[in-house]
Amino acid sequence: MGLLTDPSAGQGKLTKALLKYYTKLCVLLYIGGIGWFCSLAYTPMNAGTYFSENALLPGLVKSEFREDAIAKTYHSELLDEMKKYEDSIPYPWLLAKMKQIGLDTYTHNFTLNYPLGKPQKFVGKNVYGILRAARASSTEALVLSVPYRPPLSVHATTAPSIAIMLAFAKFANREKYWAKDIIFLITEHEQLGMQAWLEAYHGVACGNDGTLDHGDIKGRAGAIQAAINLELHETAISQVDIKIEGLNGQLPNLDLFNLAAKMLLKEGVPHTFKNRPNKHLKDPVNDWFYSFQTLLAMISTQATGIPNGNHGLYHRFGIEALTLESTPLKGGNKAGFPIVGRIIEGIFRSLNNLLERFHQSFFFYLLPSSERFISIGLYMPAICLIAGALFIKACANWCQLQENQAETEDEKTKTPETKKQVKSSVKPRDSKNYWKEMETRFQTEIQTHNPPDPDSVNFISILCVFLMSHVLGVLIMNSPQLLTTLGGQYNYSTDASLFYGFIAISVVLLTMPLFIPFKACEKSMSVLNILSLLELGTTLICVSMNNFSLALFCAIIYVPLALIIGITRCRLCSAIKKIVWLLAHPLVVLTATVLVYTFFMFPGEKFEDNFHRGVAATQQAIVFSIVDSMIYGNWLFSVVTSVFISNWLCFWIVAFAKVPQDIPKKKID
Amino acid sequence: MFLPTLLVLIFSPFGVLTSKPDKFTEELFIKPLYSDQLYVHFHFATKWDTNPEQETFRHTHIFPRALGEIVERYNVQELHVSLTGGLWRYETWGYPILDAAPGAEVWAWFKDTTEDVDQNWKLLASSLSGLLCASLNFIDKANSIRPEYTFKPKGVFSGSNLNSSFVRYSSLPREIVCTENLTPWKKLLPCESKSGLASLLNSGYIHNTRYHSVAIHMRPVCRDSSCEFVSLELQQTVSLVYDYLILGTKNWSFRKLFGQGLMGRCPLAETSTIYIDTTSNTSVPFQLTPSPDDYVTSIRGGHVNTFAKYVVRPYAMSLNANFLGKESVLLNAPPSLHANQYITGYGQERGGIVTKIYNNHWSHLDVVVLQNIPWYVPIYLHTLKIEVNGLEAEPLKIRYIPGRQRERPYHLELLLKLPARSVTSVSVDFDYVFLKWQEYPPDANHGFYIGSAIISANLPLARNFTGLPQDGSTIADSFNASRSGYLVQVRTENMVITLPTPDFSMPYNVICLACTVVALAFGPLHNITTKRLVLTVKDNEKLIVKIKNKIVKVLTDRRGGEEKQSVQ
Repeated sequence: MGLLTDPSAGQGKLTKALLKYYTKLCVLLYIGGIGWFCSLAYTPMNAGTYFSENALLPGLVKSEFREDAIAKTYHSELLDEMKKYEDSIPYPWLLAKMKQIGLDTYTHNFTLNYPLGKPQKFVGKNVYGILRAARASSTEALVLSVPYRPPLSVHATTAPSIAIMLAFAKFANREKYWAKDIIFLITEHEQLGMQAWLEAYHGVACGNDGTLDHGDIKGRAGAIQAAINLELHETAISQVDIKIEGLNGQLPNLDLFNLAAKMLLKEGVPHTFKNRPNKHLKDPVNDWFYSFQTLLAMISTQATGIPNGNHGLYHRFGIEALTLESTPLKGGNKAGFPIVGRIIEGIFRSLNNLLERFHQSFFFYLLPSSERFISIGLYMPAICLIAGALFIKACANWCQLQENQAETEDEKTKTPETKKQVKSSVKPRDSKNYWKEMETRFQTEIQTHNPPDPDSVNFISILCVFLMSHVLGVLIMNSPQLLTTLGGQYNYSTDASLFYGFIAISVVLLTMPLFIPFKACEKSMSVLNILSLLELGTTLICVSMNNFSLALFCAIIYVPLALIIGITRCRLCSAIKKIVWLLAHPLVVLTATVLVYTFFMFPGEKFEDNFHRGVAATQQAIVFSIVDSMIYGNWLFSVVTSVFISNWLCFWIVAFAKVPQDIPKKKID
Repeated sequence: MFLPTLLVLIFSPFGVLTSKPDKFTEELFIKPLYSDQLYVHFHFATKWDTNPEQETFRHTHIFPRALGEIVERYNVQELHVSLTGGLWRYETWGYPILDAAPGAEVWAWFKDTTEDVDQNWKLLASSLSGLLCASLNFIDKANSIRPEYTFKPKGVFSGSNLNSSFVRYSSLPREIVCTENLTPWKKLLPCESKSGLASLLNSGYIHNTRYHSVAIHMRPVCRDSSCEFVSLELQQTVSLVYDYLILGTKNWSFRKLFGQGLMGRCPLAETSTIYIDTTSNTSVPFQLTPSPDDYVTSIRGGHVNTFAKYVVRPYAMSLNANFLGKESVLLNAPPSLHANQYITGYGQERGGIVTKIYNNHWSHLDVVVLQNIPWYVPIYLHTLKIEVNGLEAEPLKIRYIPGRQRERPYHLELLLKLPARSVTSVSVDFDYVFLKWQEYPPDANHGFYIGSAIISANLPLARNFTGLPQDGSTIADSFNASRSGYLVQVRTENMVITLPTPDFSMPYNVICLACTVVALAFGPLHNITTKRLVLTVKDNEKLIVKIKNKIVKVLTDRRGGEEKQSVQ
């Protein structure tokens, strides 16, 4: 309650308590955070989804879609047409069909200049048609997009989606109630075409300059309010999976997700989230565990920051989007084109009702099932508790530092005379004596301070080291192009040159502690430790604001390790800490994760085969994350290199503190 | 003052009877557009042979007095109002007879004797708002500009030199046009909607179109070719674009389009005619029943058009058109000049406005681009970039009046020379700004509108052109009216941007938070200011001892009291 009172009052007790219990407190916070997160999947801990935006009026109109016959015709025609274009988009056919329907049709060409390795160019072509709404003047638009997949594509075909999309366009163009233009978009090269089209539509480049040449488009339809991406692989679908995770972990408005779920429910098509249908199990533990698995599946997708469908690229532009993907299921009822058309009609008519852009409901949430959600207010405490442990440790270390300093100073200044003074001033403490005491203290302090103390904290050099490690991090972030050209000269592949290049850089950077001048100064190292703890804590909280899942995973891995690192006098402890921290290097963590995943995915194969496979996968993962950051502006690579590696280095330096063992002092750690 | 009024009162009925100083014509123009649309244009023109300078509008015959009074009161020389729903698609539809921007658009010239033009403009807009039931009362200095080159007087101008300080232009892109605007508009017609072509304006049908525009244009014109005297001319128009897809068929009739047949002509009308453009009959043939009274051939600006003409007689009639051809998709040849406009960028920090102008003509075109950008979209002139076919170019002339927050909009007018067959893009960057919380409209998250840009040009050829010549006031005047240039004023799309919008439940949260903070701060503040600080001896007693002492104290007190009582 003491908002306006002196903060120093009553510090002593609190500080002492903190110093006494902080280790336990840290452990408690860490476990509490994880426990909190795990409990979120338990049904009473989360909330049921609901429509926040009343204007959506989901499912209020009677569906009128009857164009299933034409959808079948389109499908068979498209299949024939696709045979002629093995590896590209049959745009003349698509354009002709869209024109016949009466849409304004356009094509969009884009070029990718592959940023790594030898200069390579890839070209692509998107096709889109715009349904001009009768009741508006092209100020707002909705998008229905389908990624086109040629017969040679490794992914499942999307021909049925294109057929139903065209049939829906034919149906919708005859209606007079549209108040928003509808853009029917067919993109090539999966996410690349999508990204290029969005960049061209908004006239901006998101990745590195010159990497993705988005070209220009002619037809536009105003501000895009929402988008639905279709990935239906069969003409008769048995189950639809709703995919929402976008670039950098962005999610669409929860109302849009609810809308899709509701329309699927209304038409009687079972829907899943993360390929897991909703189950209501009687046993609360089983129920919790089932929800928790769904939740884990969601956060592990979100943490990578890679969109799991074309919808993920819209989010950056303020467009709410999701993907409806059909998943095959043996047996059961199958929904054909008429039902799928009605689902699309229902969703678009609801979106058409929107007066304002999506702004209600939630943008930050986690889903343990498609009908329950965890809002940001519920999940943030988890990461705050875990990161709080870091702050507590930092705070405790700082207090310890202050206390030690005060003690040593007291020891130095407590000459017999001053001791007497102090003693005399202890009891009736009137203001005169107090000020006298302070004055003498101050003077003695000045006297003692005059000779340069080898044990004093040199903040400038600490900050220099701190800054240096971050500069190195930024250099690593910008190194990939240099590494690939360098590797290319020795005929190494892009993957290999990046992987080994990073290993080389990391090994070189391991020697950094050798060049630290204040290794022997315990206080300086302690200050550096505090700084690193604070940085890690702050970074985790900041990242969690954007991509909670990424922050959560990082926190679970790094917080306990970062708490262990500190200044110790025990040689063995120090060595163990170094080894543990070495294992926590982002590169090692990545490799280990991929290897474990490989062994998990391919059980029963030879160890060597799996090992090689895992290493190759790691190399590719690195390349993909770099390319993603260059083309799409995915910031996973940038954050890891510029913040996490730098932070790791700081802790690495702290682990090399050389503290003399003989002086019996209060243990810091 | 009294005498002339009296004289007018006495003699005007005779005047009407004898010399007929005003003339009313009604016309309906129907043109199948190139794509799957049908353009229907109602044109009502009133020409009143009176001196607009001296006319007091105390008595009118055919001319609507309600409008006349407004015009007289606010010293208006020329007035143009349009209320439009939907966007005219120049690229596929060609040019309309009268251009209009989506939403509401008003521009007016005031007489050069007007003292406070801004004040008159505001009052004029408010009066028009009442007259047409539109939100024109939101027009004021803060969203009006004085175009230098784009809006020249359309009628006779008697003053010595044109001064743009007497013209005002404003648009309200968010305005939604509906029946409530059409009904008062119909009341300005001499026969209202009781008879004549206006009886076809059945709002249940005409708002189910892709484009509908209601307009009033008033101007002084020459009474005859010698131009010795001036007359007052009023054009009232309704433009509609029907879509065959929405109609469900390519065979159209009055019943399909308007829900009813035509019940004869307006008795007050001098002429009542229907023209149907049959030029496209060669490619998309249709048969008209009943067969037309006459065919008119018009050669204008190097293009030949044929029109079927019907003279409306004072009895009921209907009109049917039967589509004869096969279903086919026609290739579209866009008109010489068209343009569109869009926003670039994402997020709520910086953005850009791009206007793309397409010149499909075989020679260069001089155009004027006018942009009226609201004050809450601050543009930066140094970012103005004009690119012709990808190469940077310079404008011939720039007129730029920077906006001022809450006072005036940004006014940008550019004179450009568009090379033959070129695409020119004019781009300018802007910042997103915060508004005061009361300045957000209802449904704040819908976004904020930026009005259309206007691209004016004098086209050398009349391809796709249907507009009236400057000296004409009826559609019949546009036949065989070859002139040196054909003025088009292309309107682009409106744009909607999302300004940073506060969460409007925020005030509640702020009140809660502020109250909590005040409550928390109040306690200690009260403590510090009202209590005296006294030094006390710090006791190192343990908590348990303290409690024990207290209990003992209480007990002894009670016992002492009891003892006292017993003593008493």
